[in-house]
This record gives sequence, C-alpha cells and structure tokens, in this order.
Amino acid sequence: MAAVSLIGRGTVVRGNVRGDGSLEIQGRVEGDVTVTGDVVLGEEAVVRGSITGAQLNIAGTVQGDLRGTESLLVERGARVVGDLTSPRIGVAPGALVRGNVRTDGEAPLATPVARRPGLAAQPHRSAAPAARPAPVAAPKLEPVKAAPPPPPPPPPKPDEPDEPDADEMESEPPSAPAAKAPPPVVPALGKHAKAKKKRRDG
Amino acid sequence: MAGTVVGEGLSIEGDLSSDEEVVVHGNVRGKLTTTDQVSIASGGVVQADVSGATVSIAGQVTGDVTASERVDLQTGGRLVGDVKAARFTIADGASFKGNVDMEM
Repeated sequence: MAAVSLIGRGTVVRGNVRGDGSLEIQGRVEGDVTVTGDVVLGEEAVVRGSITGAQLNIAGTVQGDLRGTESLLVERGARVVGDLTSPRIGVAPGALVRGNVRTDGEAPLATPVARRPGLAAQPHRSAAPAARPAPVAAPKLEPVKAAPPPPPPPPPKPDEPDEPDADEMESEPPSAPAAKAPPPVVPALGKHAKAKKKRRDG
Repeated sequence: MAGTVVGEGLSIEGDLSSDEEVVVHGNVRGKLTTTDQVSIASGGVVQADVSGATVSIAGQVTGDVTASERVDLQTGGRLVGDVKAARFTIADGASFKGNVDMEM
C-alpha cells in the first residue's frame, strides 16, 4: 500500500515524479517519471515527458521516451510519440507508436557496443584513417630531408621530353588508380562493401 | 480509495493540482492544490504551499496551508507556515510554528 502510488484522473502534476515503488497514473503528468517499480498508465492518462520503470504498461498517451528496464507493453488505444527501449517490448494492435523501438539491452550498454562493431565492421574506412596517422608522422620529417631529392628528377624530364611523358603516363596510371580510385570508389565502395559484407555474412 | 496517493519513497517536484482527494506518504516539493481533501500521512514530507477543502496533517509540512473548510494538525504532525482556514485544530503532541488567520 505504502509503496504503491496513484495519480488520479483528476490530478495534474507539473514537475518530475521519481522514487521507489510502483506508480499508477490515471491523470496527467507534465514532466519526467522515474521509478524503480512498475508503471501503469491508464487509458485516459497523459504524460508529457519520459517514463522510466521496471515494467511499463502503457494504455494512455505519452509524449516522451519510454524505458522499461524489464519490459514495456503498449496497450491497445495507447498513443506514444517517443522512443521505446526495453529488453522486452510488446505493442498491441490498435496502439499508436511513433519513434524508435529498441529491444536490445539497456541503452547505455547497447549504444557503445553497437558503435564499436560498426567501426570494426568498416576496415576500409578504419584502415584509411589508420594509415593516415603513420604517413603523417613520417612525411613531416621526410619532406624537409626529402626536399633536396625532388630537384634532381625535374632536370631529366626537360632533357628527354618524350621519355618523361612516357614515364608520366606510366607513372600516372599507378598513381591514378590510387588517387582516382576513391572517386569511383564512392559508388564502387558501396557495392564492394555490400558484396564483402554479404561474403562475410555468408 | 483516494484519488491520488503519493506513496512512501515517491517524490514529486513541481506543482500537483487536483480535484480529488490527495494523500501524501512520500515527498512533495513545490505546490499542492486540490479542491478536495488533503492528507499528509505520518511519514509524509511536504515542502510546499498546501491548499484544499480540508487539510489534515500527521506528517511534516513546511509551507503555508490554506483550507476552505478546516485544517487539522494531528498528533505527531509538524507544521511550519501560516494557516488560513475557518476552522483549525491542533492536537496534543503536534508541533506548529506560524500565524493563524481564521477570518475567511
């Protein structure tokens, strides 16, 4: 009895509700609701704010995120505009839901985990950035020392215009693929990536 | 069954307004208004102005209390604030600090 709280249908709360125990809302709450126990939201109840509890049973109207650490059930006739997060989510036919629905574990754990695999799953992208750092460090030191060497090459070119062109032609292709690769890579990468992903998945 | 029950361990920070009975076992900070009865049970803590038809206090209240009918400060109850009500009783063992206005 003591641990069970009720916000009657004739009651309006403007502010946050938090604490231990379970809560039944039949009235209106304009603020966040955070309890350690279960939350029951009646058909005529309206909550403008997020609701967090162990087991949520929503039959009313909610404008905010719902998070059930154990379960989340959106009943028929409920109207929810916000994200749903819970290990177990149920949405009954006749319920209105607009927002993201995540049935994975707790958000704080799931989010970082999801991101890490995402980066790992993109070796191409990660490889590029990884490659950049190393070269960057080296070029900084080399350019100064390497600067002298470049001059010598130029002279040969003017001496033999034909050959330099050939060299350039030959040299360009190899460098071109590397440089040009990226542009087509955009569309091509997508395809390759998908193909590779499929291969990996397969 | 009371219309609204703020259970033990629950706290509301903000305005609570109602047209039905309100029972407080937990905490309310801000403002508590109803056109019906208000009961602050033993263990209930209210840091807010309270107004209702009848207000009975067995817990702790810090704030002004206004009632259209009556205010009952019960044994064990503690009230710090002004009381405005046509009828006002203070039970033996209750604690009260504030002004009383019974001219309604």
